Amino acid sequence: MLSGSSVSTFEHGRRLVSLGVGERGVVVRVLRDNPARAERLKALGVTPGARVRLLQRFPGFVFECDQTELAVEPSVARAILIEELG
Amino acid sequence: MSCHIAAERAAAPPVLRLRARPLKVVLVGNPNVGKSVIFGRLTGRYATVSNYPGTTVGITTGRAMVGAEVCDVIDSPGVNALEGVLSEDEHVTRRLLANREADLVIQVADARNLRRALMLTAQAAAFSLPMVLVLNMVDEARRRGVEVDAARLSSELGIPVVETVAIEGQGLNELKEALPAAAPARIPFVPNGDYSAWAHETASRLRRSRPSSIGRLQEFLGRAVRQPATGLPILAVVLYVIYLFVGVFGAQTLVRLIEHGVFQAYINPAATALADRFIPFAAVRDFLVGPYGLITMGLTYAMAIVLPVVATFFLIFGWLEDSGYIPRLAIFSDRIFRMMGLNGKAVLPMVLGLGCDTMATMTTRILGTPKERLIAVLLLALGIPCSAQLATILGILGGISFAALLTLFGVVVLQIFFVGFLAAQLLPGERSDFIMELPPLRLPGMRNLMHKTLLRIRWYLWEAVPLFLIGTALLFVLDKTGLLRWVVAGGRPVVTGLLGLPAETAQVFVMGFLRRDYGAAGLFQLSHAGQLSATQAVVALTVMTLFVPCVANFLMIIREQGLKAALAILVFVTTVALSTGAGLHYAFRILGVDF
Repeated sequence: MLSGSSVSTFEHGRRLVSLGVGERGVVVRVLRDNPARAERLKALGVTPGARVRLLQRFPGFVFECDQTELAVEPSVARAILIEELG
Repeated sequence: MSCHIAAERAAAPPVLRLRARPLKVVLVGNPNVGKSVIFGRLTGRYATVSNYPGTTVGITTGRAMVGAEVCDVIDSPGVNALEGVLSEDEHVTRRLLANREADLVIQVADARNLRRALMLTAQAAAFSLPMVLVLNMVDEARRRGVEVDAARLSSELGIPVVETVAIEGQGLNELKEALPAAAPARIPFVPNGDYSAWAHETASRLRRSRPSSIGRLQEFLGRAVRQPATGLPILAVVLYVIYLFVGVFGAQTLVRLIEHGVFQAYINPAATALADRFIPFAAVRDFLVGPYGLITMGLTYAMAIVLPVVATFFLIFGWLEDSGYIPRLAIFSDRIFRMMGLNGKAVLPMVLGLGCDTMATMTTRILGTPKERLIAVLLLALGIPCSAQLATILGILGGISFAALLTLFGVVVLQIFFVGFLAAQLLPGERSDFIMELPPLRLPGMRNLMHKTLLRIRWYLWEAVPLFLIGTALLFVLDKTGLLRWVVAGGRPVVTGLLGLPAETAQVFVMGFLRRDYGAAGLFQLSHAGQLSATQAVVALTVMTLFVPCVANFLMIIREQGLKAALAILVFVTTVALSTGAGLHYAFRILGVDF
C-alpha cells in the first residue's frame, strides 16, 4: 500500500485545478482518496473519457463536463486527473 | 416526435392488462430533466416545476389514463445514482424501486446528457422492472448540436425509447403508446458494477454532436452572473428589484390599497353594521368584528397585510427559480458556508427559506450529510425570515430609516454566521464536498410561472388563513377570559424589563408562534398605531426574526430531525433570540442610538 505522500508524487499528471480558464481536457481518472466524492462525481458524469472545459477558477471552480455545468470547491478540482486537449 | 420499440419486444406479452388495482408507474431520472413536467402532462396534476435540481423532494402521485387502463403515476425526486453513497432524496426514489412499489419505470433523461442517463438506466435495470426511456428536451439538445440515434438505442437496450419536448406536450402520446411495450432493460454484465465505461462507450457510439453556435447568449449571461466583478453587482440589483417589488409595491402600495381601500372602507364597516343590526349578543359581535374579531383582525391581517406581500414575493421568487439564477449564488457563498459546516449547496434551502421556512426545512434533504441537514434546519429556524415576515420588516423599518434596516439584517446575519460557526465546531459529523450542478439559464415561461404562483397563493390561503383565524379566536378567548392580561403580565419582566418593549408586544410574540407572519403583522399594526419607538421596532423585529419558528415549521422540524432535536432547537433559538434582543436594547440605551 502506498503512503499518502507517495500517492501524490505518483499522480504527477495534470489535474483540473491546473487548467486555465477556457482550456479543455479529457478526464483520465478521479482520485478515490475520498470515495463519497468520487461516487458523486461519477454519478454526475465525471468519468474517464468525459470532455471538460474550465470556465472559472475564482471564487469557485466551474467547468463544463459534456453538457453539464458543474461548480466545485478547489479540493474537488484537485482530485480530477485530466489529459489536456489543444 | 418518434417512438422506437424494439421489434422483438413489441411481440412480447403486454404489461398492461386487466388487473385488480391500478398499474403503478414511477418517473425516475436525473435531477432537473423534466420529470415533473411529464408528470403534469400525464396526470393533469401540477407538481412544482422549477429550474434547479431538488425541486421535488417528496413523491407526488396522480392518476393517468393510458388507453383503457388506469395508472397511478408517481413523480419521484431526481437522482444521480441508485447505488453507492446516496442522499436522503435519492433513498426515497431507490426505495420505490427496491420495495416493488412500482410496476413500471419511466426513466426521463435530458437528451443532451445521454451518458449520465445511461449510468442511471444501468442501475435502474438492476431492479428488473419493465422500463421505458424518455429522451426529453430534444429541442434544446438539437440546438446544442446533439442528436441521439433513438432507434438503435431502443434495440440495444431492448426497451422503448421515446423522444419528447414535454413542456410543449410533444411526444406524450407516443410515450403512452409505448408503455405496453415496456420491458426490463438489457444491460451487459459488468463484474464490478461500474457502468461508467459502458455508458461512455454506448453514448459515444449512438450520439452525434456537432459544434453549435447557439448558446452564445446563454454563455455570456452565465459568465456575467457567476464572475464576482459582474456577478456581485448583478446580485445587488436583483436584491434591490426584489425590495422594490415586494417591499415597496407589495408591502406598501398594495397593502395600503387593500387595507384602507377595501377592508377599512367597505368590508369592516359593512361587517360591523350587519353585526350590530342582526346579532343581538355582544360577545358574538365582538367575536366577529371586535378588536380581536375574526373579520376585523384575522381576515384583515391575512388578506390585507400578508397576502399582497406573499403574492408579490411568490411571483418574483418563482421567476428567479425558473431562470436558473439561484443555484449560481452557491459559487459565491461556498467559502462562507464552508466555515459554517455546510457547503455552497446550502444556498438553496437558505434562499428558499425566504419564501417559506417550512418548505425550506424539507429541502434540506438535498444536502449531503446528517450534520449539514441539522445545521441548515437550525439556521433556517433561527434567522431566515420568511417572505411575509421579510416584507413586514421592510414595511416597518423602511418607514423608519435605512440604518434601522441595516442594523437588523446585520445583527441577524452575524448571528447566523456565529451560530453556524459554533455548530460546525461542536456538532459531530462531517460536511460533504461542494459539487453542484448548475442548471441552464432560461427565460422563464409565463405559463409555468403563473401556474406556480397561483398554486402557492392558494396554498397560502388554505394553510395560513385558517391559522390566522384560529389564532384570532384564541386571542379572543384569552382576552375575554382575562388570560391575555395574565399572559401580558407574565411576559412583562422579559418583554418590558429585558427587551424594553411595551407590554402589549407579549401578545404579538404569542401570535408569532402560530405563524411568524401573523406576529409580524401584529407588530406592523402596533408600529402604525405609534406604540413602538424606532429603536423598539428594531429590537422587537430582531427578536421576532430570530424567535421560534411557526407551528408548521416546528412540526416539519420534528418530522425531519425528530422530537428531541426539535425541542433542543426550540430552546436554543428562543435563548439566542431573547439574549440578542436584550443585548441590542442595552447597546442602544448605552450608546444613545436612535434611528
